[in-house]
Amino acid sequence: MSESGVVKFSLLVTGNPASSQNTASALQFCEAVLAAGHKICGVFFYLDGVLTANDLINPASDEVNIPDRWAALATQYKFALEVCVSASLRRGIVNEREAAQLGLQHYNLKPPFLLSGLGQLAELSASCDRLIQF
Amino acid sequence: MEKKIGIINRQAPHGSSTAREALDLTLAISAFNESLSVFFIGDGVYQLLAKHQADLILQKDFQPMLQMLELYDVENVYVCQQSLVERNISVDQLVIKTTLLNTEEINEHLQLQHQLMSF
Repeated sequence: MSESGVVKFSLLVTGNPASSQNTASALQFCEAVLAAGHKICGVFFYLDGVLTANDLINPASDEVNIPDRWAALATQYKFALEVCVSASLRRGIVNEREAAQLGLQHYNLKPPFLLSGLGQLAELSASCDRLIQF
Repeated sequence: MEKKIGIINRQAPHGSSTAREALDLTLAISAFNESLSVFFIGDGVYQLLAKHQADLILQKDFQPMLQMLELYDVENVYVCQQSLVERNISVDQLVIKTTLLNTEEINEHLQLQHQLMSF
């Protein structure tokens, strides 16, 4: 922990956004961390957590659009939303570049989510004071 | 000082992709962190039980990848003794060399870690 009392958090999100509460809880945790003046180093999405980055998610109007909330929060506070590329390709989350390389007709990665490797999780783990998994 | 990272495996190998992807994660992190410990607890011990025939149920046989742990210098591989006993599995049925720990020792080792990831 730094002398100023600011704690740096990294998050690992592994739950499915449509069928589990994990990503919603992670989002609320992030909001609370930032409201208390602490810092988010970044959020890494793995396993079914990567589905949060699907731009085609479109819940009913009386439900909360969790991916939209992530995108807004990350943009406002300037932290990265990293999505594991191998877990993503397995689950049909593709960015423009991967789609071109793989010869796919569509891509669906939601901005500002970024496809990245597990090395980025190691980086987030090393640079934070606390790693929290959801 | 490098952080001690503990990776906990508690799920059976093929019902979900969790075990396989947790192993991918472990091997990837091992390239960046030399203070890794891996734990197999509860149904997680089935991941180590020899002679999986994953292809018969259209799953990937990731057991050969467990051998990579040693190659990547991940030496702290711990298995819950109680979980083996409850499932009538003996050490010589496991596909990799591990250290057996009782419940109390597992708790002690978990407390030594700076970070835990659980799968």
